[in-house]
Amino acid sequence: MSTKVYETAKARPRHPEQVIFFVVSGQTFAIAADAVKEIRSTDGLAGAAVECETPEVPKVHHFVERAHRPYYIVNGCEHFHLPVTRPSLALVLRQFRVALLVDSVERIGEIPAVYPLPLAFSGEERIWYRGLAYVEDRITPVIQPAGFLSREQLDHLDRLLPRSNQSQHVEGVVSA
Amino acid sequence: MTASADSASSFVLLHLGSRRFALPASTIAELAPPVHLHAFPHTSAKVCGVIVRRSRIVPVYDASPILIGRRSAAHRFYLIARREFGKTGELSAIPVDGECELVSGELQAAASDDPAYVKGRVAVGDDFVGVLDFEALVSYRQQEPENEAPAVLS
Repeated sequence: MSTKVYETAKARPRHPEQVIFFVVSGQTFAIAADAVKEIRSTDGLAGAAVECETPEVPKVHHFVERAHRPYYIVNGCEHFHLPVTRPSLALVLRQFRVALLVDSVERIGEIPAVYPLPLAFSGEERIWYRGLAYVEDRITPVIQPAGFLSREQLDHLDRLLPRSNQSQHVEGVVSA
Repeated sequence: MTASADSASSFVLLHLGSRRFALPASTIAELAPPVHLHAFPHTSAKVCGVIVRRSRIVPVYDASPILIGRRSAAHRFYLIARREFGKTGELSAIPVDGECELVSGELQAAASDDPAYVKGRVAVGDDFVGVLDFEALVSYRQQEPENEAPAVLS
């Protein structure tokens, strides 16, 4: 008899957490509330956004300066390879120099646990997601905040900026 | 390809479209009812989402484009099998059309022109049905465009 253990995604034993449910191109995602520093309207951000385009990181078109540091504006549709929509909000992350463009914020709520992503998922989603949440009969991917820009992408973008905008600090990010 | 000598065993007969296939019963955990398929963006080929079964999240592979050349009907059952990942394993589901049957028989050698995911054949009535190698099926690579894989939603 095989002694192999067959897993299904069981929730890690952990405390419930507050998350922000947001929508990109009709898809709902969740991100830990404490990973988000601010929620800004794109209208409010537009005046401060500076163009910053490179084919190496096509999901970034602009950056904004926050506390004397460049925050790269990541288009959520392009990040998740979804049909492009018109975003209305930007989630400015707390620990990473990223502002994520989203269509809307659905609500702020609590998830009881985060289930690990099944091993069947082997693509970019392993960088995108921390795991899955099961709330109100719905599965929602829980975002990995470090997954929006790799260290290499961040370095590449930093090199494009005028010297006065270049960050002296590169926070921990995942490798590409 | 040759069948093993001790191959007389049980198989689960499944229906996809108008075709029938079999999987070794030893790899099957259960047949789940047509529960809701949850889809979200990802880039993993053949995975079409997840189902929640007994409070657990089970990934679903849509094998029908490989086996019958098209996606199958909307109302489907899920045959839950065990897939191995190195030292661990994972329960995984494939959508099937209708109920499944348990059949017994001897695993016969696959035909020379059978694809790699068919590991043999079993006699069912007057017919021979292909016995699938689940691991080979879900990791089978069809000819795909070389450009970047788009996110899969369903």
